[in-house]
Amino acid sequence: MELVYSQDRRRDESERESDRRLAIQARDGDLVAFDALVTRKTPAVLSVARRILGNAEDARDVAQMVFLRVWEQLARYDDRYSFNTWLYRIATNLSIDFLRSSRSREKAHGATLYLVRARQEETSAETSRGAEDGEIARLFERVSATMTGKQKAVFVLREMEDRETREIAQILGCGESTVRNHLFNARRVLRRELAKIYPAALRRGKP
Amino acid sequence: MTALCPEVRDRFARYAEDRLDAAQRRDVRDHLRACRTCAEEASAADPALLFAAMPPEEVSAEEVSRVLAAVRAGMELRRAEKRLARSPRRLAALGSAAAVLALTLLLPGRLERPAGRTAVGDAAPRPATAPMPQFLPGAAPAATAERFPAEATIYDWNPGNSRDEPRVVWIVDGSLDI
Repeated sequence: MELVYSQDRRRDESERESDRRLAIQARDGDLVAFDALVTRKTPAVLSVARRILGNAEDARDVAQMVFLRVWEQLARYDDRYSFNTWLYRIATNLSIDFLRSSRSREKAHGATLYLVRARQEETSAETSRGAEDGEIARLFERVSATMTGKQKAVFVLREMEDRETREIAQILGCGESTVRNHLFNARRVLRRELAKIYPAALRRGKP
Repeated sequence: MTALCPEVRDRFARYAEDRLDAAQRRDVRDHLRACRTCAEEASAADPALLFAAMPPEEVSAEEVSRVLAAVRAGMELRRAEKRLARSPRRLAALGSAAAVLALTLLLPGRLERPAGRTAVGDAAPRPATAPMPQFLPGAAPAATAERFPAEATIYDWNPGNSRDEPRVVWIVDGSLDI
């Protein structure tokens, strides 16, 4: 298993370096390199946005905004640092902003919007993923509804996207201890909300 | 139940406390994705593990193409917005320059077109040599060809022929870079 992990790690490092080179070319005005960067990084950006927002349509809108923002700010990209960290920072911040504004809209429109979204998600989830994964994704959306944007972003990056605590701190522009705090609180919210839905299943686990 | 199950289950508590290294965390996730029994045990021990075991989001090539197309369209829109933001200033600058030149020409007296200049554009150019008694009576000094920039083209609508219609004169200086 360790050997497989080492190979994965080498592959990740090679991809990161390749992303950085593409970003430098794009920063120098190479539109072909920029297209290649968008094509390569769209799955990662869509994945994070979808998990933070819990909605495929919104995630697509955010992904488009992310790459437009990257294109506009490429001149400010400092290539001594990881392109991926910079990209994740933009994607996470825009997703959190979008989440805040959509929660405000939900407050304003209440149940109607929730029902429309649930129906849309049901359809898209069942066509794009297995029914079980779709069910878990919907469950996460439900139990994470009371998390703050930052708690949700930290949980998604750490537990679902497998990012290191140090990298998450760089992405969110905060300290590692703050990341751990957000993660701790996110887990507490999950445990509390899941206990409301499945009290028997969680009785065996830790409080 | 596989040989790995007990080892992975031993790691649940340390996973929840974030005390595993990256390789060990990855092992736990990979195992939970493959082993339903351990996944159920894990989610009872730590609900976060229920979601950590979710497979990576699948993104189709069609979705990637849609995002790329939308990004390209957005880039084009931003470029067009920038061009549009610049053009009113350019128009205003061109208008101001034309107005200043027209006043310079009209106030001293007669309007003359320098020899050898031709007008272009939709409006039919008229000879600019007619006197303008209705505007500037008296012996006003005549405008001379030297007063015009070398690249100027003059457009003159209604050069003093009718009192009912206003006279409009445009002098477009091609040497100005605006």
